[in-house]
Amino acid sequence: MTKWLARLSALGVAFLLVGQGQTALAQNPQQAGKKIVRIGSIQSVDSLNPFKAVRLISGQIQRWTYMFLTTPDPKTLEPSPDLAESWSTSEDGLTWTFKIREAKWSDGKPVTAHDAAWTFNKIMTDDAAKAGNGPAVENFESVTATDDRTLVIKTKAPQASMLDNPIPIVPKHVWETKDVGTYEAEDNPPTNGPYIPFEQKKDQYVKLKANPNYWRGEPNVHELQVIFYENPEAAVAGLKKGDIDLIGRLAAPQWEAGAGDPNIVQWNTPGRRAAYLQINHGATTSDDKPVGDGHPALKDVKVRQALHYAIDKQKLVEEVQNGLAVAANGSIVPPMYKDFFWEATGEEKVTFDLAKANQILDEAGYKKGPDGVRTMPDGKRKLEFRFSIHTDTPTEDKLAQFLTGWFKEIGITLTTRKLDSNKFTEETGSTALFDIAISGWSVNPDPEEVLATHLCSRRPTPTGEGGGTESFWCNKEYEDLYQQQLKELDRAKRAELIKQMQRNLYVNAPVIAIYYPNNLELYRKDRITSITPVPEGRPGEGILYGGVSGWPMYSMDAKPVEAASSAAGGGANTGVIIGVIAAVVVLAGGGLLLARRRKTAAEDRE
Amino acid sequence: MTAIAWTRRRRALGRFWEQYSRQRAGVVGAVILVVAVVVALATPLVSDPDIMDVTKATGEKMAPPSLEFPLGTDESGRSILGMIMWGSRVSLLIGFMSALLSMVIGTVVGIAAGHFRGWVSAVLMRITDWFLVLPSLVLALVLSAILGGGTSTIILAIGITSWAGTARLIRAQTLAVEARPYIERSKALGAGHWHIMSRHVLPNVAPLVLANTTLQVASAIVAESTLAFLGADSGQASWGGLLRGSYDWGAATKGAWWYILPPGVCIVAVVLAFTLVGRALEAVLNPRLRGNA
Amino acid sequence: MTAPIDTPIETGPAAVEETAAGPRGLLRYAVTKLGGALLSIGMVIVATFFVFRLIPGDPVIAYTRDVPLSPDQIALLRKQMGLDQPLPQQFLDFVVKTLQFDLGTSYEYRRPVAELIGERFGPTLLLTGVGLVIAVSLGLWQGTRAAWNHGGRFDRLSTGVSLVLWSVPTFWLGLLLLMVFGAGIGPIPGMFPTRGMESVDAPDGFAYVLDVAHHMVLPCLTLVAVVYAQYLLVMRSSLLDEIGQDYVTTARAKGLRDDLVRRRHAVPNALLPTVTLVFIHIGFVVGGAVSVETVYSWPGLGLLFYEAIKGPDFAVMQGTFLVVCVAVIVMNTLADVAYHILDPRVRST
Repeated sequence: MTKWLARLSALGVAFLLVGQGQTALAQNPQQAGKKIVRIGSIQSVDSLNPFKAVRLISGQIQRWTYMFLTTPDPKTLEPSPDLAESWSTSEDGLTWTFKIREAKWSDGKPVTAHDAAWTFNKIMTDDAAKAGNGPAVENFESVTATDDRTLVIKTKAPQASMLDNPIPIVPKHVWETKDVGTYEAEDNPPTNGPYIPFEQKKDQYVKLKANPNYWRGEPNVHELQVIFYENPEAAVAGLKKGDIDLIGRLAAPQWEAGAGDPNIVQWNTPGRRAAYLQINHGATTSDDKPVGDGHPALKDVKVRQALHYAIDKQKLVEEVQNGLAVAANGSIVPPMYKDFFWEATGEEKVTFDLAKANQILDEAGYKKGPDGVRTMPDGKRKLEFRFSIHTDTPTEDKLAQFLTGWFKEIGITLTTRKLDSNKFTEETGSTALFDIAISGWSVNPDPEEVLATHLCSRRPTPTGEGGGTESFWCNKEYEDLYQQQLKELDRAKRAELIKQMQRNLYVNAPVIAIYYPNNLELYRKDRITSITPVPEGRPGEGILYGGVSGWPMYSMDAKPVEAASSAAGGGANTGVIIGVIAAVVVLAGGGLLLARRRKTAAEDRE
Repeated sequence: MTAIAWTRRRRALGRFWEQYSRQRAGVVGAVILVVAVVVALATPLVSDPDIMDVTKATGEKMAPPSLEFPLGTDESGRSILGMIMWGSRVSLLIGFMSALLSMVIGTVVGIAAGHFRGWVSAVLMRITDWFLVLPSLVLALVLSAILGGGTSTIILAIGITSWAGTARLIRAQTLAVEARPYIERSKALGAGHWHIMSRHVLPNVAPLVLANTTLQVASAIVAESTLAFLGADSGQASWGGLLRGSYDWGAATKGAWWYILPPGVCIVAVVLAFTLVGRALEAVLNPRLRGNA
Repeated sequence: MTAPIDTPIETGPAAVEETAAGPRGLLRYAVTKLGGALLSIGMVIVATFFVFRLIPGDPVIAYTRDVPLSPDQIALLRKQMGLDQPLPQQFLDFVVKTLQFDLGTSYEYRRPVAELIGERFGPTLLLTGVGLVIAVSLGLWQGTRAAWNHGGRFDRLSTGVSLVLWSVPTFWLGLLLLMVFGAGIGPIPGMFPTRGMESVDAPDGFAYVLDVAHHMVLPCLTLVAVVYAQYLLVMRSSLLDEIGQDYVTTARAKGLRDDLVRRRHAVPNALLPTVTLVFIHIGFVVGGAVSVETVYSWPGLGLLFYEAIKGPDFAVMQGTFLVVCVAVIVMNTLADVAYHILDPRVRST
C-alpha cells in the first residue's frame, strides 16, 4: 500500500513538472520583441483558396490578406478605394470602369488589372471556382482589362451594390497554373493585403505576417495567428490563461465568462445579424404552382399577425440571448446600419399581447376545441404547426421552448423538428416542407443581397431547384420597390425605398424578425494596446473580428513579446526538460531496481 | 405436478436470493437501482411537467442551490433537481429499451447460431463478429445522423450496435446446453428445432441473458449521454441532454457546479449500479464464469 | 461504449474452434482468417453504400448548397457524380472507387476525402496508440496484482476505482479534467493546454516532442481512465481461472516462490485472452477518441468525424466510417493470427 502511494505521488510530481512547462514551452526565444496577436476561432479554416472557401473564418482571413476592388470606409461604411483607386459608371449604369492601384504582390510582381480580370473571369467560367463567391458575378456580362491599370466590368442589369463586391483578387501569374478546384493554397501563394499567410496546419492554426509593401503602409503588428478551438469553453479558458489574445463571434454564455477579469475587455456592440421566423404562407415555385405541405391556416395573414403578437421578443432577448441582443421592432436589416434600418411605430407596431392574439384568431373564426387547440374555420384541421430548427444549436432549441409555451396559450400546438443543415436548407428553401422555421442573415453594409432573398425570382424552379429564397415571398409591391431601388443611385432616396420594402415584410409577416444579436467579443488589453472597430468612431458600436473589413486587424497595435519573459521562459524550459527527464529516470530506475531485486531473490530461491 | 414445480421454483428463488445477498456490491447496486426506478416512476405523481416549461420557470438564471431549488437552477431558471427527476425517466427508458432490443437480437441470433450447424451458424457468426469488432459509437452516430433525431432513433441506434457480445455469449451457452444428454433424448423422441430451442435451450440460457441485459443497460445509458453530447439527442431532457445543456450554456466558466456535477454523478451512480448488479447476477447464476470472484 | 464490461472471455478467440497442427495448420488458419477479414471488409463496403443511400435528400443539392446552379448544370453534376446510373452500376462504381482509395469529395472542404483522412490519421494513431499502451499496461499490472491478492485491499480498491471510472461518460470526464487542469480552478493553476496537439509556436527537436507530450497529457488521461477497467477485469478473472488450475497448485506444491509461479506460469497463460481483448476492443477506444478529440480540439479522425456529423458532410462521414472500420478489422485479424501463434494451448492441440 505504501509503495503504491509512493508511486502515485511520484506520478503526481511528474505531472506537475510537465504542467509547469506549459507557458515556457509555448514561447520561442526568437520571437522576443515581436508584436504577435493570437486570435481564437471556434470555426476551423476550410480552405485558404478563396475560390473554394465558404466559412466565415476563411472570409475574414481573406479580408486580412487580400485587396478587394473597394472596401467599406472604416468610418462611414460607404465604399472606399482599395485595389481600385477610383471608378466611374456609364450613363445606363451597365458599364463600370475601375482604375487599378500600383501595388506589389508579396512575391514582388506588380499587381495589374489583368489579375482582377482573370479572377472574375475564372469565377464566371469555371464552376469549380464558384463555391466561394459565385453569386457575386451572377449579373456580370463581361470583365476585361483594357490595360495594366484599367478594368472594365459590364453587367447584365444595373447593380447598385457593385461597390460591395466580396471577391478577393488573386495573382494571375500564380493561380493560372493551378487547378482551382483542388488547389489548397498550402504553399501560401502571394497576396497583397495587410498580412501574408506563411504557415498553416489543418484544423490547428494559420499564421500571417505583416506585409511591408501594403499600400496603406505596414501594419503595427508583426504577426497574426489564428488558432482553432473545437470547444468554445476551452477557447474562453485559453483567453483567460493568455493562450490567445482575442476571440470574436461568441455566444452569450461564453462572452459572460469574460467578466471579472481586469485584463479582459468585454466588447458588446450591435451586430450585423437579424434573426427571424420564416412562415410558410403558401409557398409556390417560380411558375406560381403551390409547393410543399405548409399548414393552410398560415396562408391567412391574420394568423401570421396573431403569431407575431404571441411572441415576447424582449423576453427572448433576455432568456435566449442573455440580454445581449436588441428586440426587433423592424425587419431584416439590423439597427447597426442606421441609413437603411426601418422600425415600426404607432398602430403598426406589434407588441407582446396574448389577449390580442387570441382576439384576432377568435374574430377570424378559428374556434378553440375542448382540448384548447383551435381548428380551421371549416372545423377540419387543428392549428398544429411544426417548427423547424437546426440540430446542435442550443439557442434555437431554447427559442423553440418559449414559442411552444406562448403558442399554447393562444390555442396553437407547436412541435419542434430538428434538421441537419442540408435537410433544413432543402425543406425551407426549395421543397417547402415546413410550417414555421427559424432563419437569419448577416447583413452587409449594402443590404441588397438580403433584400433579394425575398424576390419572386428566388423561389425554387418547377423542377425543385432552390433559388435562394428566404421566405417564398412574391409580392407585387415588394418587387416594384426592389426594381426602383436598383436603379436609384441617390443614396438617401434609395434608403427610403429599402425601408418601404422592410415595412412590406413587417406588415404581411412572411417573416417575423425576433431580435438582432449583439456582436460579442473578448480581448486582452494587457496584450492588445489599441484596436479600432468598424465602423470606427461611433461610441458603443463597431465590430472587431468578423466585421465587413480588415481594418481592425490592420490598425491594431500590441505589446511586443517581452525579451525578459522569453529569457526566463527559456530558462524554465530547460529546467522543466531536466526535471521531466529526471522524473522519468527516477521512476524507470526505481521500477527496474524493484524488479531486479525481486528477480535476484527469486533466482536465489530456485 | 404444478404444486411440486412451484415449490421447486420457490426454493430455487430462495437459494438464489441467499447467494445474491452475499454479494455485497451487488446489494448496494440493487439498492441504488431501486431508488432510481422509484424516482423515475414517482416523478409524475410529485412533480408537474410544467416545471420544464421555460415560459413558466420561476427561478433566477443559474442560481446556486437554495431551499426552493435544492440543486440550483439552469440557464432558464428551472430547477435542476426537477430536471434530473424528469430526466431519469428518459435516460432509464432509453437504457432499458435499447438493452431490451439488443438482448432480443442477441438471444435470437445466439441461440440460432448455437443450435443450427453448417452455413446458418457460419453466416450468423460472421455477422456477429462483424458487429462485435466495429466501433459501435461511430456506427450509432452514423445511424442517428441518418435516421434523424428522436427517442426511438436513439434506442434503435444503440440497440442495433450493441447486441453482438450477447450473441457470442448465448451461443457458447447454447452449445453447452445442447451437449447435454437429455437434448439427445429429446431429439430421438422427434422434437423439432423450435421445440428444442424454446423449451430446452431458452430456459437454460435465460439467467445468463438476464445478467447480460443488466450490464447492457449500463453501457446503453453511457451511450445515450455520449450521443446527446455529440449532438444526436432524443429531443427530451435526459441526463445526457442536461450535461449537453450545461456545456452549451457555459455552466463551467460560470462556476455553476450544481449544473455540471449532479447529472454526471447520476449517470455514474446508475451505470455503476447496473454494472454491479450485473456482475453479481453473473457470479450467482453462472459460477463457472467467475468461479473465484 | 456499447461493449458491456464483463463479457470479454467469450468474445475473445477463446471461442475459436478450428484446431491446427504444425506449420501447415497455421498457414491454413491464417488463410481462413484472412478470408474472413476480407469478407468483413466487403460487408463494410456494402453496408456503407446502402446505409448512406438511405439519407433522405438529394446529394447534389447538398453538394451545391450555397451555389445557385441552372438545371443544366445540376444535370451535369448529377452525371459527374454518377447518380444518373442504375443502382447496381452505382454500387459497382462505388466499390471500384473505394478499392482505388477514392472516397469521394467533401462537400464542406471541397477536397478529396482520402486526403482529409490521411492528414488526420497520424494524430489519432498517436493518441489512441499511447492511450492504449498505457491503459493496457495499467490494466494488466493492476489486474495481476488484484487477482494474486484476491479479496485483499488492493483488489477491492483497484476493482472499485476502475469500475467507477468505467461508468463515467468520456466527454464529461474530459470536460471536468479540462476545467480543473486545463483552465485551472481555485488554487489549482491551469497547467495544461486547452486545445490541440502542439503549440502554435512549437519549438523544434526534442522540445517539440515534449510540447506534444504536454498537449497529450489530458486527452490521454481521459482515454486511459475510461478504458483501462476492461483490461484490469479480464486480466483479473482469467488469472483467477489460472490460479484454480492444477498446474499452479503443483508448482506451488513443488515449493516454488509465489512470485515466480505468478510470473512464469500463471500470468503468461492468463495474458493471452487479455491481449486479444485489446485488439477486439480497438473499436471501443476509437469511439472514445471521438469524444476526447472533440473536447480537446485534437486534430484527428474523431474530430473530423464529429465535424462531418455537424455539417453534415456525408462524404466525409462515409469515408471516415469506412476507414475506421477497415482499420479495426485489420488490427483484429492481426491479433487473431498472433494469438494463434502465441497461445501454447491452441498450438499444442
